[in-house]
Amino acid sequence: MAFLIRRGSKKYPYITARVRAMKSKLLPREVYPKLMNMDIPEITRFIGESEYKQDVDELAQKYSGLDLLEHALNQNLARTYRKLLRVSQDEPNFLITEYLRHWDIWNIKTILRGKYYGAQAQEILDAVVAAGQLGYRELTSIANMESIDDIKAALANSPYYAAIADYDGGELSAIENELDKIYYSRLLASIGKSKGEKLSLKFIKTEIDLKNLKILFRTKKAGLVKDDIFELLIPGGMEFKSGDLKRMSSLPWSDFLKGLEDYSYWSEISEVVSEDMTSLMDVEALLDKYAMGYASRISHYYPLSILPIYDYMLRKNNEINNIRTIVRGKKVKLPDEIIRKHLVM
Amino acid sequence: MVDISIADATVEQILANQKGLIAIGAGLAVGLSGIASGIAEKDIGAAAVGAMAEREELFGKGLILTVIPETIVIFGLVVAILLLFL
Repeated sequence: MAFLIRRGSKKYPYITARVRAMKSKLLPREVYPKLMNMDIPEITRFIGESEYKQDVDELAQKYSGLDLLEHALNQNLARTYRKLLRVSQDEPNFLITEYLRHWDIWNIKTILRGKYYGAQAQEILDAVVAAGQLGYRELTSIANMESIDDIKAALANSPYYAAIADYDGGELSAIENELDKIYYSRLLASIGKSKGEKLSLKFIKTEIDLKNLKILFRTKKAGLVKDDIFELLIPGGMEFKSGDLKRMSSLPWSDFLKGLEDYSYWSEISEVVSEDMTSLMDVEALLDKYAMGYASRISHYYPLSILPIYDYMLRKNNEINNIRTIVRGKKVKLPDEIIRKHLVM
Repeated sequence: MVDISIADATVEQILANQKGLIAIGAGLAVGLSGIASGIAEKDIGAAAVGAMAEREELFGKGLILTVIPETIVIFGLVVAILLLFL
C-alpha cells in the first residue's frame, strides 16, 4: 500500500520545538475558573483577545454571540491543525496527516448524519472541522450534494470509500463504526519500528482502549446484547485484546464492572464507578483526563518523536472542548458545579 | 617513479616532511571538529528556529544554545595552533 512507504529523513527537532512553543500559548488551567465567572459576551471578548483573535475578527461580520464563538473555535482548530501540516516535513508530516484523518471521519459522519436527518447544507457545514485531508471547499461541495450516490462518488478515491460503498441512506451506526475501524487500522499501520514510533504505537493503542472502554460503558448502560456490542468495538488496543473485548462485551453490568478491576485503567475510574451509577459523565471525563495525562507523560519519554505533537493536538482539542462546554453550559444556565464536572483539566 | 627512502633523505628533507605532517594534523583538528560542531548544531538550530517562529522573544536564548557546540571547533583550533606554533 502506498501509505506504508516510509519517507526520507526524520525532521523532528524543528517541529517538536515549534509545537512546544505553541503548547505554551494554550490557555493555562487558571483561566477556566475565570471564564466560568464571565457572561457569554465577556467570554467572547476574552477569547477574541487571545490566540483566537484572527478567527473571531474574521467571523464577527457573519455571526454574533454563541454562533460566533462556536465558529471561531471550529475554525481555529482547523487552522491550527492545518498549520501543523504546513510546517512539518517528511515523517512527522506523514504521521500528523494520518492522525488528522480523524477529522475526515468526523466530517463524513457529520455530512451523512445531516443528510439522514434532512439538514440544510449550511447547517451541516456549521458543524464540520476542515482539519483533515478533505478541505473546506471539498466538504462544501459534498455537503451540497443531494443524493447519497453522488456523495459516494465524490469519496470514491478516498480511503474511506470501503466503509461507505454499500451505504444506501439508511441506518448510520454500521457505517460510522466501519469508518472508525478504517481510521484506526490505518493509523496503526502507519507507525514504523523506531524507538519513538514504538512509544507512539503504545499511545495510539491506549487511545483505542479508552475509546473501547467508553463504548463498553455506554452500550452496557444502554443494555445492548453481546454481539451488537462486540461489533462496535475497535480491535488493536493495548490491554483490551480481542479476547478481552469478547469477554467484556458478554458480561452483565455488575460482572463487567468487576472484570474491569483486572485492568490498569481501573485505578483511574474506580472512585466514580459503582453499580448504581446513573450518569457516565464522570467516568468519561476521568478517561479523557487520563488520556491527556498519559500523552503528556509519554511525550517526555522520547522528545524527538511524534509524541509531543500528539500531546499538543490532544490538548488543543481539549481546550476548545472546554471553552465550548463552558459557553454552552452558560447558555442553558447550568449550575457551575455541573459545568466544572464536564471540564477536562 | 622516484624511490625515496628515509635512509637516503637529508636532515632538511626529514624536517620538511615533519612540518608537512604537522600541517595535516592541524588541518584535520580544525576540519573534523568543524564538521562535528556542524552536526551538533544542526538539530539545535532547527529547534531554535522552530521555537522562534512561535515566540520571537526566544531569539536570544535560541542563539546562545545554537552556538554552544562552537566550543568543539574552538578546541580544534586551539589544538591546531599548539601544533603549528609550539
